[in-house]
Amino acid sequence: MTLLARDPAAPMRLGPSRVLRPQRIRRGIDVVLCVTTLALALIGAVLVWSATRSRLADEGSNPQGYLYRHLGNVGIGVALAIIAARVDVRRLRTIGPLLYLGSLLGLLAVFAVGTTINGAHAWIMLPGGMELQPSEFMKLGLIAGLAVMFTQWRGSDRAMLRPATPDILLAIGLITVPLVLIMLQPDLGSAMVLAATAFGLLIAADVPARWTLGLIAVGALGVFLAIKSGVLADYQLARFRVFANPGHDPRGAAYNVTQARIAIANGGLFGRGLFQGPQTRGAFVPEQQTDFVYSVAGEEFGLLGAGLIIVLFAVLCWRGLRIAARADRTGRLLAVGVVCWFAFQAFQNIGMNLGLTPVTGLPLPFVSYGGSSMFAQSLAVGLLIAVDRYATTRRPVV
Amino acid sequence: MAEPRTRRLSVIGILVASLLLTLFGRLYYVQVLDPHKPKQTADLLHQGQFAVPAPRGQIVDATGRPLVTNRPTHAVTVDRETLLEQPDQGAAVLARLAKVLGTPERDLAQEITPCGVHVPSPCWTGEPFQPVPVATDASTATVLAISEHRELYPGVAVQTQTVRDYPGGTLAAHVLGYTGAVSADDEKHDPKLNDADTIGRSGLEEQYDSVLRGTDGAQVLQLNPQGYSVGTVSDIPAQPGDTLVTSLDRNVQSLAEQSIRAQIAASRKAGKPATSAALVVMDPNTGRIVAAASYPTYDPQVFVGGISVADYRKLTAPSAHDPLVSRAIAGQYAPGSTFKLITSSSIIMHHEATLGGTYPCPPSLSVDGRVKTNFESESPGFPLTLGQALKISCDTWFYAFAANEYYADQQRTDAGKKPNEYLQHMASSFGVGTPPGVDLPADEQASGSYADRETRLARWKANRTKYCADAKRGFPDEPNPAQRAFLTKLAAENCTDGWRYRAGDNADMAIGQGETTLSPLQLAVAYSAMINGGTLWRPTLGRAVVDAHGKVVREINPTVKAKVPVSRSVLKYFANQLRFTPDHSVSGALAFDTAPYKTGIGGKTGTAEVFGQQDTSWLASWGPVGASGKARFVVVGMVEQGGTGASSAAPMVRKVYDGLLGAGRPQVLAGGRPEATLPTITPAAQVTTSAPRSQPAGTRPASPTRGPVSPSPTRGPGSPSPARGPVSPGPSGTPDVTPTFGPRR
Repeated sequence: MTLLARDPAAPMRLGPSRVLRPQRIRRGIDVVLCVTTLALALIGAVLVWSATRSRLADEGSNPQGYLYRHLGNVGIGVALAIIAARVDVRRLRTIGPLLYLGSLLGLLAVFAVGTTINGAHAWIMLPGGMELQPSEFMKLGLIAGLAVMFTQWRGSDRAMLRPATPDILLAIGLITVPLVLIMLQPDLGSAMVLAATAFGLLIAADVPARWTLGLIAVGALGVFLAIKSGVLADYQLARFRVFANPGHDPRGAAYNVTQARIAIANGGLFGRGLFQGPQTRGAFVPEQQTDFVYSVAGEEFGLLGAGLIIVLFAVLCWRGLRIAARADRTGRLLAVGVVCWFAFQAFQNIGMNLGLTPVTGLPLPFVSYGGSSMFAQSLAVGLLIAVDRYATTRRPVV
Repeated sequence: MAEPRTRRLSVIGILVASLLLTLFGRLYYVQVLDPHKPKQTADLLHQGQFAVPAPRGQIVDATGRPLVTNRPTHAVTVDRETLLEQPDQGAAVLARLAKVLGTPERDLAQEITPCGVHVPSPCWTGEPFQPVPVATDASTATVLAISEHRELYPGVAVQTQTVRDYPGGTLAAHVLGYTGAVSADDEKHDPKLNDADTIGRSGLEEQYDSVLRGTDGAQVLQLNPQGYSVGTVSDIPAQPGDTLVTSLDRNVQSLAEQSIRAQIAASRKAGKPATSAALVVMDPNTGRIVAAASYPTYDPQVFVGGISVADYRKLTAPSAHDPLVSRAIAGQYAPGSTFKLITSSSIIMHHEATLGGTYPCPPSLSVDGRVKTNFESESPGFPLTLGQALKISCDTWFYAFAANEYYADQQRTDAGKKPNEYLQHMASSFGVGTPPGVDLPADEQASGSYADRETRLARWKANRTKYCADAKRGFPDEPNPAQRAFLTKLAAENCTDGWRYRAGDNADMAIGQGETTLSPLQLAVAYSAMINGGTLWRPTLGRAVVDAHGKVVREINPTVKAKVPVSRSVLKYFANQLRFTPDHSVSGALAFDTAPYKTGIGGKTGTAEVFGQQDTSWLASWGPVGASGKARFVVVGMVEQGGTGASSAAPMVRKVYDGLLGAGRPQVLAGGRPEATLPTITPAAQVTTSAPRSQPAGTRPASPTRGPVSPSPTRGPGSPSPARGPVSPGPSGTPDVTPTFGPRR
């Protein structure tokens, strides 16, 4: 029976396990979460439109081309979210590891059949002109995988519900493998998001502070060594240098930052108005429909519009954490992971638009143009809803 | 106590909240607080400068009537930007436009698409922000259709350009010249030139190009990195070119051309090929050219906007007889007996004969072992004075002197002295062998030529090998056996004796044959010197340069090239002897028989033999001669392959006098004399380049809104066309700013 599921809290065991009767869904769908997400996606559609229409027209293409494709992505995303929202979270115990392994396979596939775009070997071209970026799905995969792992593999410290050293080591292993693969692409931005998300998960999973603080120290040391040893690609180092000193090379690596900064700065309180931003119209900002889509909001809608996006992300995170707070352990970890993912990626993306963080190729969740990230994030939102719908009891029915 | 789980969640919540708060704080700083907000930096925007071509100045005749003006043409342009902003991306507009222009819609759409990797030709090769011209020289109907329904044609504009216009059609085409597009070479030569300009390519257009061209305006646009305009930085209007007033008289020029056409027809009817002809009417007292006509001619209009390959082929085809050559000034021909003016001057001034003495005029004379005869072996049978010899044009009379002069020179050279070569020196004094110095490009004025010992030797040295090789080879390519034999014999002779200047050569020169050549203009200048008392002018066509406000910028005056070394009394003697009398004692007078002014005219005919062709017919004439002995005009006529001077050139010249003096036909020249005063050139009323448009169509205003489609204002067809009356110099048509950037198709 499809409605029969394993007890998510039961220890992993080979052979038949106890079967639970499905519980009645007590809560409806989190409307605020859905509306917020959809609002971000639709704001994204308008921004992508504005960013691309004039340059598409210059190329002689349909000026609404990107708009339509973004809306198409939103549609697919909604469908994916609906599917994910219908998942019985208790199935996460099986789905989680599968998601993790599937994403990992995708990452590996990149090395076999991937395509290089913007210096990162991170894409798989699908027939029909579709591109897939497995690292986006890896974020979700890692969250789901870790969430299940920390639930299933509680090691010796069962009473305290705190992960023991073997759990933590396993978790670090699970984190390191995709992290290394993504670093090899190299996609520094995704790696940073992955690391930050995993870090949030470790905190939420009650990993002792000595571990988390220790990991931060190790991470800092790693970054230091990476810069010193030359593991990072030149363009990545250049971006860091630009971050440190934006005026240094305004025509080269700092060009994006400078142009985005000009756009946002001149937006002021109310912005220039839709389609009226000179920087956007003049197509000064490269990659404006993807990584720098926030600069369109800054220029054309000013502090109000750009601030609204931050507020929407805040609402999104709030709803996510709210779901986490009343979910079971797996659901909680999953929700926290998703919140950390969205929050950090938004921070990283908006931060680089504002000159706050170094430039790494990262889309703004839901807002930026791009199928893979939209789909992965939609799935994540769908799972959040699923967690909210199903994980209504605090403790498993034994 | 909070469960650890909840505490951990709070940690996450605080971390997330701090991230987002940081973002908001930063956003607030960047957008509101930052005291050093970055501006759109100028180095990212760049400026594009575009020439606003100045309308060329007019060329008018001595009374201010236009010879070359400007004509507005309407070009229909399409701004892709505006089209794409339409709900249907301009499909409806294109469909309407296609209907009006009669072009398939698909072609239009292709034409306006900027070229790219995936865009096949025809496509727009210009800058993407430029409006694309889809129709040049659009009809009034088209312009009206578009202008009356602006709302139906967003992004479609009508731009006005000025192009050269020739109200007289082919009138004076050779002298006026034509214009062409500026080439890369021109730009190298003059960095101020640009693609948008036209440049004089021949005639007065070339000679006075700098004054006619004017100063281009400049429009400096602010462009973004994609090449789209975001604003106008500066807009300097173009200064139209100055008007060139010429000494030509439109009516006399027209009369001369009519006379030529009539004579060509008459001569051809009489069985002569009459392949070409030329007429020069000059004021001998000022050196100004009143008319200079050549046949065949061409329509300079074919050069407007670039000559087509077909037209160029037509003009350069052998059957067309080089219509581009200005025969009156750039053609040089054996002058025949008209040259006897120079020969006579030499004979008298070097005391070889006296004005009162008589000398034989036998039917034939053996010079250097060759028998040279008079024309049709005529002879009066008694000795003649110089005057009589000139009147009946007795060749043998002159041969004797030329031969004697030659032998005297040979004695000098044998004695190791330099030959005197009196005849050659006199020819040189009358301007033969040097450019006449007319105000036309150097390659459009013939210098004429004559033979002497030195040049003969030099030429032989340079060409000896070729002569000898030709003599050896024969001329197997020549189909005509007689011609082949002649050429071979000539080559053999040249091979061995080509250096030798013979008595026969000198005799030939004496009657304007052999290697003696002159342009009709040079002959007119020489006869002007005779009738004006010895002043050899550098003739001029330009009279004055007048700016757009009617102010005379510069007067152009002929300068004296030399004084001919012949005394006034001798020149007066020639003029008197060659003055037509009621009888036919002066050759050529016959043609003027019924003219009431006949005895006021004098003239010398010439009939130059050309090997293998019919004779070149000449008449060099002057008149009417006043009491002071001065003549108002010198008129030289030449008909190539036209027969004798009296039969062909003389009647042609007579028609000119008829018109000049109003005999038997309406008088074409007020007072029957050359225009003495400068015409008043009224300020060209519409010469202004302050175009109402501050930005070319298709630019994008930077702020705040683009606004609805702003049709680029052009001179609508409803605005009155500027008068193009007889005295309204100045470019006609409002010179609109026509930013012609990029390559033109």
